[in-house]
Amino acid sequence: MKKLNFGIISYAHPHALRFASVIAGGRRTKLVAISGDGLNSDVARTEAKKYGARFYREYEALLRDENVEAVYIAIETYRHKEVAIRAAEEGKHILLEKPIALNLKDADDVIAAAKKAGVKLMLPFNPRFTEPLIKAKEMIDGGEIGPLEYIQAISENVKPPIFIQGLDMSWFLDAKKSGGGGFMDTAPHGVDSLLWLTGGLPRKVYADIGAKIYGFPVDDIGTAVLEFRKGVLAVLTAGWGNPKGYSYSIEMKYYLVGREGFLDVRTAYPDFTVYQDRAEKIYWDRPDVRGIVESFSKAVLHDEPVPIDGETGKLNLAVILAAYESSRNKKPVKVKL
Amino acid sequence: MELKVGVVGCGNIFNLAHKNALKKIESIKVVACMDIDEERAREGARAFKAKAFTSLDEFLDLDMDVVEILTPTYTHAELAIKTLKAGKHVIVEKPIALTVEEGEKMIKTAEKEGLHLFVGHVRRFDKRWMQMKEVIKKRNILPMHIRKSEVQNLPFPKDYWYWDERKSGGVAVDLGVHVTDFLRWFFESEPLSVYAVGKSIKEEARANGIFDHFLMMITFEGGKTGIAEVSWAYPYPSRYGIFYHHVDIIGKNGRIRYTPLDTPVVGVAKANFEMPRFSPLLSTFPDAFERELRHFFSCIRGKEEAAVTAHDALIALKIAENAKESARRGEVVEI
Repeated sequence: MKKLNFGIISYAHPHALRFASVIAGGRRTKLVAISGDGLNSDVARTEAKKYGARFYREYEALLRDENVEAVYIAIETYRHKEVAIRAAEEGKHILLEKPIALNLKDADDVIAAAKKAGVKLMLPFNPRFTEPLIKAKEMIDGGEIGPLEYIQAISENVKPPIFIQGLDMSWFLDAKKSGGGGFMDTAPHGVDSLLWLTGGLPRKVYADIGAKIYGFPVDDIGTAVLEFRKGVLAVLTAGWGNPKGYSYSIEMKYYLVGREGFLDVRTAYPDFTVYQDRAEKIYWDRPDVRGIVESFSKAVLHDEPVPIDGETGKLNLAVILAAYESSRNKKPVKVKL
Repeated sequence: MELKVGVVGCGNIFNLAHKNALKKIESIKVVACMDIDEERAREGARAFKAKAFTSLDEFLDLDMDVVEILTPTYTHAELAIKTLKAGKHVIVEKPIALTVEEGEKMIKTAEKEGLHLFVGHVRRFDKRWMQMKEVIKKRNILPMHIRKSEVQNLPFPKDYWYWDERKSGGVAVDLGVHVTDFLRWFFESEPLSVYAVGKSIKEEARANGIFDHFLMMITFEGGKTGIAEVSWAYPYPSRYGIFYHHVDIIGKNGRIRYTPLDTPVVGVAKANFEMPRFSPLLSTFPDAFERELRHFFSCIRGKEEAAVTAHDALIALKIAENAKESARRGEVVEI
């Protein structure tokens, strides 16, 4: 089977660790190059050695490597635009960490560059690649709970350690680089689930987002009320609300209320619990990154549409930015799409 | 000395909760039960060897210290004001009244008559929430975000008074005041503004042009966020009960969560559905009503300060009323 040769640009985002391991061990993929731009350059170098991938100090050199067919970009968000456009210009297919960019104009530029170059552009929103959510979507679309009326969702992570597994994540606390704090970090996953499950678009968003818990310079928790065009009402809480002792690290939950039934998606990521000095959830299935990498590779190798394209990534960002605007102005905001 | 107690309204909440609670309290005597339905009045009176009335005026002529008003919401104000004017202390079921305006009149009347007016915000006497509140204080959790849901699948037919907005205030008021009071109690802060969205999901709600699912985002002083979800339309399986509480508290120093799975019901698994056995009401454990009434009686005797006042009840209603206005206008409403 033909394999897709991947390069990873930057280990600024900690997801790079998981993507590297999945890409390197993938049926359709090979990890051939890593660049050490942005933070955590040393980790990138160590990882390159570990996977036998070529190491480049800068992404420009990686993009000139003809062996590289596709890139996974995990650089700080404020550099997404610059790097993604260059990757497109060099003819590399792009798997771009979320959010797509800092603003909608930049998102448009990234989308246009990919289109012009004729390369695939995909955003990795994890939950829709998990079994529980796929099952829920099937049941909703199959009419098993009647018309969807109400969704309450949690898309949360623990208080971010500034260093994790040797990674420096301090840029998450700098809104100029990340676009925002806990809500910007975790809400895109929840928003994607809502857009995907409802198959609709929100017309109005009201949100309260703030630095409420830790005293960080960025927001740590937020809740958004989304009124969809088809009449579905959704409430999403997202952020870093879980204290250190919390048994979950990442936590994705959905209560889906239909007119004739109710789906309780307790978790997108099945786990079991270990009790010692503290309780700890161990995830026994994290098929999401595998699903993302495989569907992206398949789309590239067979020249098919990717499951989550740039427009979907932009729409996602539009909802997130509307939530921030609503929270700033303390008013509901009509989503401009 | 025994307090002489009268009961007005011998329907659901009386039969499911107050009757048994009153029976357990030694220091009082229920002397009269009044209901416009004669059969109900007689049945209620029988439980206490009390007198039965169908006329309010005759009932109020009786020598009583305190009257419990357990009637549909829209009758609270008129009955409470009459009772207070007849010189009796009043304990009225929540919500305090159908409207804030009515509630204010009740409070004024009680002040003028120099009598107590208590509102049965029973959540404040439920051990779960009392213990939770204690943990918050002791461990200095400092809540900044609280989501409280109270949801059920309302089992009553569409001509029942709950489904009439002019009688119950709708789910936003009927269940809403429980949650708005809970948030205020837990935050120990005052509400500033509310944004709310309502939905009509069940056939009963659509037929009556009323919301049966209601969401409130309430901003409290100090940047605290309260999210109140109330519903009569949850198509829940009845495995764990028929009424569900969710609480998720995120604080500066920790998080507390309570889900339906934490509700200690005794479920019954049979081929046919049966109600869970632990609690007859399931929104509240029966001992909470008893604790509430003991407390109010003790306040009337001057032995305790009220844990929840009519003024608290009025603010709970005010938030719900503002929330309904927000849902109508689609805008944030200042409280």
